[in-house]
Amino acid sequence: MILDLVSMLLIAAGLLFFVGAAVGLVRFPDFYTRMHAAGKGDTLSSLLVISGFALHEFKDFEGMDFILALKLLAICVFIMMTSPTSTHALIDAGYEDGIEPVIAPDAENVLGDPTSRQP
Amino acid sequence: MKWIGLIAVVLTGALLLSAVGDFPDFGDPKSPANGGVGDFSVSQYYITHTEQDTKVPNVVTAVLADYRGYDTMFETTVIFIAGIGIIAILRSHPPGGRRGPAHPIDATVDGDHQRIIIGITCRIMIPIIQIFALYVVAHGHHSPGGGFQGGVMLGASFILIGLSRDLQAALARFSERRFIVLACLGVAIYAGFGLLCLLLERNFLDYGVLDGFFHTDPVMARSHGIFAVEVGVAFTVTAIMFAIYANLSSKGRLDEGL
Repeated sequence: MILDLVSMLLIAAGLLFFVGAAVGLVRFPDFYTRMHAAGKGDTLSSLLVISGFALHEFKDFEGMDFILALKLLAICVFIMMTSPTSTHALIDAGYEDGIEPVIAPDAENVLGDPTSRQP
Repeated sequence: MKWIGLIAVVLTGALLLSAVGDFPDFGDPKSPANGGVGDFSVSQYYITHTEQDTKVPNVVTAVLADYRGYDTMFETTVIFIAGIGIIAILRSHPPGGRRGPAHPIDATVDGDHQRIIIGITCRIMIPIIQIFALYVVAHGHHSPGGGFQGGVMLGASFILIGLSRDLQAALARFSERRFIVLACLGVAIYAGFGLLCLLLERNFLDYGVLDGFFHTDPVMARSHGIFAVEVGVAFTVTAIMFAIYANLSSKGRLDEGL
């Protein structure tokens, strides 16, 4: 009962973060901020939703349901490792490619001249 | 020359399109695949007889590699021919016989500090991907999977090495000679098991006769035969996946990659 309630809460929170990620992907001004929204929001919301599923499947901690829950938790671990890495790789590639970030008009571009950095 | 090709393509296309008219109607309950006439329903036969014919719980695998083994063998051959075609068209040796990249590439992850996150993650993930790919190949009898899916994952793990480090690091593990040999070996394993059945005076790819070879009863021998040809499929698909990536990413020179 409590397990069900917690899993429902986790899934609802995950969906909320999914909405945030989607809105950020559409509304943010440039490549880096969009990747920030997609990468962070997507990772956290996937983790929350899948761990919610896993909690829902735990039930009495035995049988096929338990194995299914363990598989779901394994997916959580892999998402936690691969999703931030792919976001990092994409942003790194964009930076090497010389994509200009959008900054405040009076601020200094602390990233420097992106084209000066060669792989 | 182009005109001859065009005529051949148009003729073949017209022939295929004219054959479409002879298909049974979509969703026709009397069509051979759905219900059939009388007791000759193909799908009913597969669903009811797969377990006792082959001892394979996964009907799809049994249909793919046993009942319709010819089809899958030539699918594998199509992949093989596609890969060999890409190698034949793209592969070129630079004049002067230069081998390897122009500048020496530091093969260690730590030597290139910008890529350390990607390098370490791939170093952790690639063995897991490869083990899971072998599991998918071996577990095709019981769950979705088999030679094609497992082969693609195994090939993708080598592509991941090529992407996360460089093509030389991937080629050091899976050289050109090796992937061509492996691609040929896969098709040879598949056709070889078919021929073995033919030599034992049964039909091509009729694995039931291999019971002496596998030391089991004829029904279990069909299950083992399916696994054997799945391994052949996995070999070819792995090798061709990586061969296509290696040739496309380096414009056929196999030197630096992306």
